[in-house]
Amino acid sequence: MRKFITGNHAVAEAVKLCRPDVVAAYPITPQTPIYEQLSDWDSTGELGGTMVKVESEHSAMATCLSASLTGVRTFTATSSQGLAFMHEMLHFAAGARTAVVMAVVNRSLAAPYGFWSDQTDSLSQRDTGWLQLYCENNQESLDTTIQAFKIAEELMLPVMVMLEANFISHFMEPTEVPEPAQVDEWLQPPKLPRRFDLANPGFSNGVVTAKQYRDFRRLSSDAMEHALSVVERVDKDFGRTFGRSYGLVEAVDCEGAELILVTTATITSTARVALANLRSRGMKVGLCKLRLFRPFPVAALRSVLDNAPRVAVLERNISLGREGIFCSEIKAALVNSPGHPKIQGYLAGIGGTDVNQHSIEWVLQDAFSREVFMDQPIWVDDAAAEGGYNA
Amino acid sequence: MLEIKISGRGGQGVVVAASTLGLSYFNAGMYPQCYSVYGGERRGAPVVGFLRVDLEKVLLKCEIRRPNSLIYLDDSLFDAADVRNLLKPGDTILINTTRSLEQLGDLHGLRVGLIDAAYVSEQAGLGRIINTTVLGAYCRLAGQPELNCLLDALAEAIPVKRRANREAAQRAFDAVKITEVA
Repeated sequence: MRKFITGNHAVAEAVKLCRPDVVAAYPITPQTPIYEQLSDWDSTGELGGTMVKVESEHSAMATCLSASLTGVRTFTATSSQGLAFMHEMLHFAAGARTAVVMAVVNRSLAAPYGFWSDQTDSLSQRDTGWLQLYCENNQESLDTTIQAFKIAEELMLPVMVMLEANFISHFMEPTEVPEPAQVDEWLQPPKLPRRFDLANPGFSNGVVTAKQYRDFRRLSSDAMEHALSVVERVDKDFGRTFGRSYGLVEAVDCEGAELILVTTATITSTARVALANLRSRGMKVGLCKLRLFRPFPVAALRSVLDNAPRVAVLERNISLGREGIFCSEIKAALVNSPGHPKIQGYLAGIGGTDVNQHSIEWVLQDAFSREVFMDQPIWVDDAAAEGGYNA
Repeated sequence: MLEIKISGRGGQGVVVAASTLGLSYFNAGMYPQCYSVYGGERRGAPVVGFLRVDLEKVLLKCEIRRPNSLIYLDDSLFDAADVRNLLKPGDTILINTTRSLEQLGDLHGLRVGLIDAAYVSEQAGLGRIINTTVLGAYCRLAGQPELNCLLDALAEAIPVKRRANREAAQRAFDAVKITEVA
């Protein structure tokens, strides 16, 4: 059924369709409407399962990961400071090989306080051992949330689904909500090990020796590597049933392009318009959307970017003291490319500032004609958003 | 592509007006996109809601800077010079006001709709609620979505005072004064 809903509402619809056994969350702007919608359905009995009220995000994650260890399906959602507060428990959720699914509404981290989109909150959780998927619009947020349960439960690794503050969380768009029976058939109840046995009490996360720790890490690392094929297969399988799939990366007009722009999340959507406009004027430019960040899809990216002479990475986040986080990762992924494209990083949209068609066209034109590629990122200023490269 | 900006004050129902108008276009089979900006979260503070509407899927995920249609729920936010800078000839503007066109200032080249929404709402039994009333006037001014699409959206999105909301939108549709200002 097609509905006119926000991205937050779309994620809540996805969660309800997946019939979670335990939802534990704590409200934080701009994620709160997910929590509120699920609470409404909990109160009317439509959600099913158990909704646990907790006193913090740290406890929300502790609740979800413990519940997952009993073998049930679990969900939580957060943003920004809430995600930062969860940080310790994120490592536990991954290390204990749970299948927790979490929606993260990307929001700037304090200080200073802001409410708008910025990806640094989730990218700061890069090394916690969670899978990370970044969504372009409301529909992809809904679809990816459903996919996330299947991925997490097959791999026994937790999955984060990222949607951006405002541009997805509070943007209303027509969104296809699948029929419950269709989702029930596609997503079976979880087959997770039940690691708490009341008849045979034990301890789930014991102290280990250095060698044991290394071996557990090695197993998790192998699972992450295996995850690349699982994410790809689940997405294709989803596409066969629901008619929509997204890939690990998506290449638009990249064949023979002299410049490829790499983007994530909502900037990708606006970039499709900018790309079409510049191509209609004869510029050989392409667009590569990065959807999966952990595990990092090196081979998929290389198959798109290896032969491009120039790559521009445009992003809404920053690792202070270096550059945009996706840019660093892409440079590292291409270090063994035979042709080794020149790569220039661009920062736009930090703190939720506007990235419109003009600012993206400015980036494409700058990267297309630039003689010197710099190690440092270029901040796209507000003037670019006012009217293109020559304005 | 239609780009609409709705201006009002906290408490007047800007956010509901924007989402309900979006739902009306959705009911009409079009592709709307809608968002609101309200940092202050207090009564009386300026609040703006935005819509993009197209026949095709809207890909732009950025702010609306140059709307081609303006709706003012509160005429204290209206400034004729600002409006002339923002709109192009042939664009539309709807103002909830008791003032006359002459009193509002120079709006040449624009298609202007004026509605005394407080009066219409009172007559319709809606009390001091004016957002749905203004939407009824908008449907007539813009020529779309059809009034029925708005009435369906009101029934779906606003569970209280159903009859009065419907009545107010219908009355405003008939009462709005439309002028193509030369």
